Amino acid sequence: MFNNLDLKIIRYFILFVAGLTMTQSVSAQDVANGSATANVQAALAIVNTQDLQFGSVFQGVAKSVTNNDAAAAGIFTITGAAGAGISAYLTLPQYLATPTGFDRMNIAFRTNDLTIDSTLNTDPSAFGAGWLDVDPNNLPTGLVIGSDVVSHTMLFLGGRVLPSVDQSAGAYSGNIIVTVAYNGT
Amino acid sequence: MKNTLKIVLFCLLVLSTNLFAQNVTVNNNLTFGTVYPGIPKTISKTTAGFAAEFYISGIAGNEITIDFALPTYMNIGSSNMQVIFQETDCAIDTSATPDQSNPEFNNLDPWHTLTYRIGSNGLYVWLGGILVPGLSQNEGSYSTNIVITVTYTGN
Repeated sequence: MFNNLDLKIIRYFILFVAGLTMTQSVSAQDVANGSATANVQAALAIVNTQDLQFGSVFQGVAKSVTNNDAAAAGIFTITGAAGAGISAYLTLPQYLATPTGFDRMNIAFRTNDLTIDSTLNTDPSAFGAGWLDVDPNNLPTGLVIGSDVVSHTMLFLGGRVLPSVDQSAGAYSGNIIVTVAYNGT
Repeated sequence: MKNTLKIVLFCLLVLSTNLFAQNVTVNNNLTFGTVYPGIPKTISKTTAGFAAEFYISGIAGNEITIDFALPTYMNIGSSNMQVIFQETDCAIDTSATPDQSNPEFNNLDPWHTLTYRIGSNGLYVWLGGILVPGLSQNEGSYSTNIVITVTYTGN
């Protein structure tokens, strides 16, 4: 019925159809692997490097510490991603108190009691660059962590205590809270 | 004669491969860039250069299904960071002049199978997402895979 050539043609045809079917099934689906990437910057950290220290105070005699007083100004060190924008907020006390809370002493912060230094400098008495003598109750916008090559910003804080004439003798203290967060800029 | 026949059949096989070939390629990865701990970051599907872009080529008019295998975290070492894909984070354009900023089919759900027909200029898929780094997220370059599977429906 079929000669040799016919049989070969039929064989090849079957092979072709089988191949075609396989090709179809293989090529009917395709998969690609993409990716999602992100570079996370360093987390923020803030350290109280030095307390705001008024030292010995006498009844009825107000005492000020300037923000450029290397030995007495409050110093906070903020570290994070160099050049990143941050928002900061200071919660300042209205009085200092004895450990038992028996007596209180007024403390005031003036509108120029804070200096923010975004250079390598860590010394309150040697301001580099940043924001000089600003209001600690209303920090400026546009704050950054250092610069492109400096990954810290320093806060230097001064203040003034106002002991009353009958202020109880003893050690007084109050909390200064600094809150800082990246703002995404 | 035998050799000629073989060559013809081989060519037909190759041709058939081309006829049914389809490809999905990654034109752009989903790129969040610089991210700060505690600050979520959103990449819109319509933001060129940052949104993921996939290109599907094939026979115009053929119907395909598109399925994503989406991650829920990005990683670096043992550190994870949450990544979210919302029900509107995908867009498709099958037109002759695809426009990522104003795609033909917008706000599609990448979590479900998408069924469309390949256009004369192929089919473009764009994908955005939201990254949610923790406040103390470890520093570093995070990444994860996004797998897209394209299948002909035969319609």
